[in-house]
Amino acid sequence: MILDSLKLDGKVAIITGAGRGLGRAMAVKLAETGADIVAAARTQSQLDETAEAVRKTGRKCLIVPTDVTVSAQVNALAAATVKQFGRIDILVNNAGGGDDTLGKQLPEITDDEWRRGIDTNLSSQFYGCRAVIAQMVKQNRGKIINIASGYGLRGGKHNFMYACAKGGTIQLTRSMALTYAQFNIQTNCIVPGIFPHNEAMMQFFKGGKFVPIGRVGQDSELGPLAVFLASDASNHINGELIAIDGGGLAGGIAPTGVSPENTNQMAVEK
Amino acid sequence: MASSNASNDFSLQGKSALVVGAEHSVGRAAAVTLAEAGARVVLASQEPGTDKRLKEVAKLVNAAGTKPLIRVQDAAMRADLSATADLAAKELGGLHILVNALDTPAYGPAETNDDTAFDKIMENNLKTVWMSCQEGARVMLRQGGGVIVNITSVLAERGVANAALYCAAKAAVLNLTRALALEWARKGIRVNAVEAGWLDDESSPANKGDEFSKTMLKYLPYHRLVKPEELGGALLYLVSPAAGFVTGESIAVDGGLRARV
Repeated sequence: MILDSLKLDGKVAIITGAGRGLGRAMAVKLAETGADIVAAARTQSQLDETAEAVRKTGRKCLIVPTDVTVSAQVNALAAATVKQFGRIDILVNNAGGGDDTLGKQLPEITDDEWRRGIDTNLSSQFYGCRAVIAQMVKQNRGKIINIASGYGLRGGKHNFMYACAKGGTIQLTRSMALTYAQFNIQTNCIVPGIFPHNEAMMQFFKGGKFVPIGRVGQDSELGPLAVFLASDASNHINGELIAIDGGGLAGGIAPTGVSPENTNQMAVEK
Repeated sequence: MASSNASNDFSLQGKSALVVGAEHSVGRAAAVTLAEAGARVVLASQEPGTDKRLKEVAKLVNAAGTKPLIRVQDAAMRADLSATADLAAKELGGLHILVNALDTPAYGPAETNDDTAFDKIMENNLKTVWMSCQEGARVMLRQGGGVIVNITSVLAERGVANAALYCAAKAAVLNLTRALALEWARKGIRVNAVEAGWLDDESSPANKGDEFSKTMLKYLPYHRLVKPEELGGALLYLVSPAAGFVTGESIAVDGGLRARV
């Protein structure tokens, strides 16, 4: 029965970047659907808030402050999960962002800024996959969900590090999928569109400007997609990217709301 | 507190769904999934003369949870599609979900396809989908919104020998999905697709025990074909209230096939 296959009772999920935003939203929704949660992020206070929200659903939440750019800490995160819960069913590689290079002229980007950005966004996901895979292989079951971005598929002016890292996310997803299909481990990618997290972004995309569907995304909407990819309902979906972006990636060859024939033109601004 | 409320996000209680191509294995699987999730379903055929098959599907759908309506029609006739869309809306209090499971496989060398074959393959695999989307949207625009899912194939994204026109038609359905999604994005209609991998059903060339079939089983990531019911999860996610921000997208159910070189 399809609705039963979407339940996560008895499952254990690690989520990185779980202190706020998309990570917190996914943690809470996975918990609502039955999973116990291991929440990882850098900031203890944010993790505490996530844990409170998770525990309100009746599920357990283990907090593990983690710097995902340090592989030893990511290994420790996986070990702590197995120690506490005896299993790792789901890994959501969500930690990322922190781009000091965005908008900078290419010659001004330093080696250190480049490396830190790659480590935060891509290496972290590689470390996560590497840390959990033995346990998932042992279980002959696992779900890995890598959070990418539209910039993993398309480019952007003055967007070098982030686009490269997120492109790497997509390739990591595909190679993981092919390598571990035989162990009943599915690795897939969520490609979020515009989910504003600061005032500047909210203003820029006000009224859903530049988004075909006419609004920006709500963090809570990532939750059910993560549940779907974490559940048995997606067992034959592997190495796939699912964009949740209000139609953004479906277009791109003309500005949003612009098309031949004036009579078909949609209002770009409400 | 109850730990599992998947039903809240993915429930189709109170929703009405029209499945076109319900006589096919994929259409049947789609209808059963929708019924399990609580939708009332209209089972419409692609081909005329499929009463018996639709009645068998109706039994499965009824057992799955909701009593379906049956419409034997010719999906190549616009008047049929139009009447079905209106009937679905009238009998079920609106048309919330349209699933096009329209498919007529066409395998064979390119040189054997004459102009008549071109017309037939495009009509059965593309034109029917186009007309069905138009007629469904006509109703949905009137009621303020809805959701459409076109079921296509991994052949939409890649080439394979001995299927040139079939590949072209499947690809057309995929890009049609994106274009319509953009066109209706601010009118409340979401349009998405599900791409089936090599299927294990009566229409598949890969479950025949021949050289091709044996080679494919070795090649596929799971070393087996996709069962039609395995498309259900992707379909349900895309039509559910939870996917309100997803449009113009396609979810492939292929075990990872397209991920490889």
